[in-house]
Amino acid sequence: MKAETWTILSCGIFFALIAPVYWVLTQDPTGTTALVMTTLLCVLLGFYLAVVAKQINDRPEDRSDGEIADGAGEQGFFPPYSWWPLFCALALAVCVLGVVIGWWLFIIGCGIGAVMVSGWIFEYYRGIHAH
Amino acid sequence: MAYATATFDDATDRTVTREKTLGQKVVVVLTTTDHKVIGNMYLVTSFAFFIIGGILALLIRAELAQPGTQLVDDETYNQLFTMHGTIMLLMFATPLFFGFGNAIMPLQIGAPDVAFPRLNMFSYWLYLFGSTIVVSGFFVPGGAASFGWFAYAPLSDAVNSPGLGGDLWVMGLWMSGLGTILGGVNFITTIFTMRAPGMTMFRMPIFVWNTLVTSMLVLIAFPIFAAALLSLEADRRLGAHVFDAANGGPILWQHLFWFFGHPEVYIIALPFFGIITEILPVFSRKPIFGYVGLVAATLMIAALSVAVWAHHMFVTGSVDLAFFSFMTFLIAVPTGVKFFNWIGTLWGGSLSFDTPLIFALGFLTTFLFGGLTGVILASPTLDFQLSDSYFVVAHFHYVVFGTVVFAMFAGFYFWWPKLTGRMLDEKLGKIHFWLLFIGFHLTFLVQHWLGVEGMPRRYADYSPTDGFTTLNEISSIGAFLLGASTLPFFYNVWKSRKSPLVGLDDPWGWGRSLEWATSSPPPRHNFTSLPRIRSESPAFDLHHPEIAALELAHNPGENSKFADAPDVSGKNGQANGRAQAESYDADPDIDGKGH
Repeated sequence: MKAETWTILSCGIFFALIAPVYWVLTQDPTGTTALVMTTLLCVLLGFYLAVVAKQINDRPEDRSDGEIADGAGEQGFFPPYSWWPLFCALALAVCVLGVVIGWWLFIIGCGIGAVMVSGWIFEYYRGIHAH
Repeated sequence: MAYATATFDDATDRTVTREKTLGQKVVVVLTTTDHKVIGNMYLVTSFAFFIIGGILALLIRAELAQPGTQLVDDETYNQLFTMHGTIMLLMFATPLFFGFGNAIMPLQIGAPDVAFPRLNMFSYWLYLFGSTIVVSGFFVPGGAASFGWFAYAPLSDAVNSPGLGGDLWVMGLWMSGLGTILGGVNFITTIFTMRAPGMTMFRMPIFVWNTLVTSMLVLIAFPIFAAALLSLEADRRLGAHVFDAANGGPILWQHLFWFFGHPEVYIIALPFFGIITEILPVFSRKPIFGYVGLVAATLMIAALSVAVWAHHMFVTGSVDLAFFSFMTFLIAVPTGVKFFNWIGTLWGGSLSFDTPLIFALGFLTTFLFGGLTGVILASPTLDFQLSDSYFVVAHFHYVVFGTVVFAMFAGFYFWWPKLTGRMLDEKLGKIHFWLLFIGFHLTFLVQHWLGVEGMPRRYADYSPTDGFTTLNEISSIGAFLLGASTLPFFYNVWKSRKSPLVGLDDPWGWGRSLEWATSSPPPRHNFTSLPRIRSESPAFDLHHPEIAALELAHNPGENSKFADAPDVSGKNGQANGRAQAESYDADPDIDGKGH
């Protein structure tokens, strides 16, 4: 994961250099805040990747001599299909229209949204998937 | 063949399986979690928005063809250019990136799907519903948003732009932007965690690198846009005073908007640079020139693009000219590196002028002009003269049309067999290209001169005494030619539905990256078998081991740690082994010893 870490961190280093330069030159609080937040975003991501890289061995995709067979086995869980993304997006669309049209619609949208989000979260914990 | 990958031998079997009913097909599309289907949905939807935005553009050009008000009144004209900009940037170009990213990127890294398939589908629905909400402004009283696609405060507040159209614009864009952020998270996670074994970072195709860097830019830019939009909506609906002129709101909005807006330009440029970088090596029969340089240039462009936003604000007089001018000039350096490497890839190659390469060359030409006028505009003294004139309009159309549209069509012609299993017609493709190329340059080249002569952008009308009439007429004729160029493409797509199935992994014959090592179109989870990965061109190494060995033999420096090349350790042994095995297959007596 080292290449991934440094891809992110190299951007973070650039922003860490630019942000103070920008502040000194302009004293503009808006742009400086945005640049500092961008720096922190990159450092956060880079730090996380660095910690993970330290905790695990090189994965087959990190090794230039990795063989396809090294990655054999469970690839992860891939839902074959799902209705919930559509339903959740429809609920959010009702909320968004609620902001524009009237708060009564927004509240209805939140109600529908709560049901839909629950449906998505528990999709693989109900029925034949219950455990 | 000693190395069988998935072929399309089972094409005959498929025809006997029972056809799904229309209802079943609709349900499959509505509930799919397959990145290829979602990618196609993104491509189709964004192309539909491209057509809508294009029709708005034709209305604008029709109105401007002659002095006087013929077609639309001033308010409608404002709505037209506002929605044209919004649609083209945020409902066509940005989701088009997700279309190509979804359809191609997981194939290129050898992944069975993206990391979060349901989130992927959710992103698509957010984009579709959000964009529909924005465009629905045309059908409410007062019409769609008319404050320009950058919604400058205080013009965009509830007093100056009342009506539902503005609110629909703000909230719809917020919703579709949320989809963009989630899509970016999905892509980064996929590229970091789901690559096939041996696919190290420095063996990823440049398109995957550019998808990664673009997704990082999405994470940097779009949350700020979302926050600014919600603040604007709070001003409009809740009576907040975030962007009130009394406390410096207009400049605050411009800073926030362009801190999003400039990276956004690169969000819609970098993936299309990636498409071009995939196409050039295949049709010049050469590996990519300067791989590490291209990766570094992409990262540099991305990082610099976050520090140049206020060059859109030179004329406000409230920004540091030296800082932003310098940073903007700096961007020309990595962009120049890219051009150098693209030309280096073509140089000395055995060029095959198929439609994808022709569109790629159209991109190189057009985008070069856009880059050059960008250098002119980066100079504050020149920008003061040219800002908000048609020169700027010409500049950014050369940049974004050059990258997005030319590279999109290049990508369509290139990957059509991978997306559908059928080829597009070459002759129609070339007619399409020349109509598009001539139409585009006729429309926008003259706009440089209009701008220099002083024609301001976003005005609905001009006077016959201004002397703008002739160039505007030329521009409008070009625009309609440009619009007409889409017809051969549509006919091509329609015609291709009955073309024979290619039945091959790699119909172009010289495909390099991993998507050409699986069937066309690929099976549900992409690969029935994966070749060993020892370079950035695993499919090429698999199909042409003898040439892969030659490439390496002719470039011994490629193995060096400091070479400007992808990680090719182990490629030599693999290529020689495969070449030998293949020649044994062809002629068991190859070593002359007899058996």
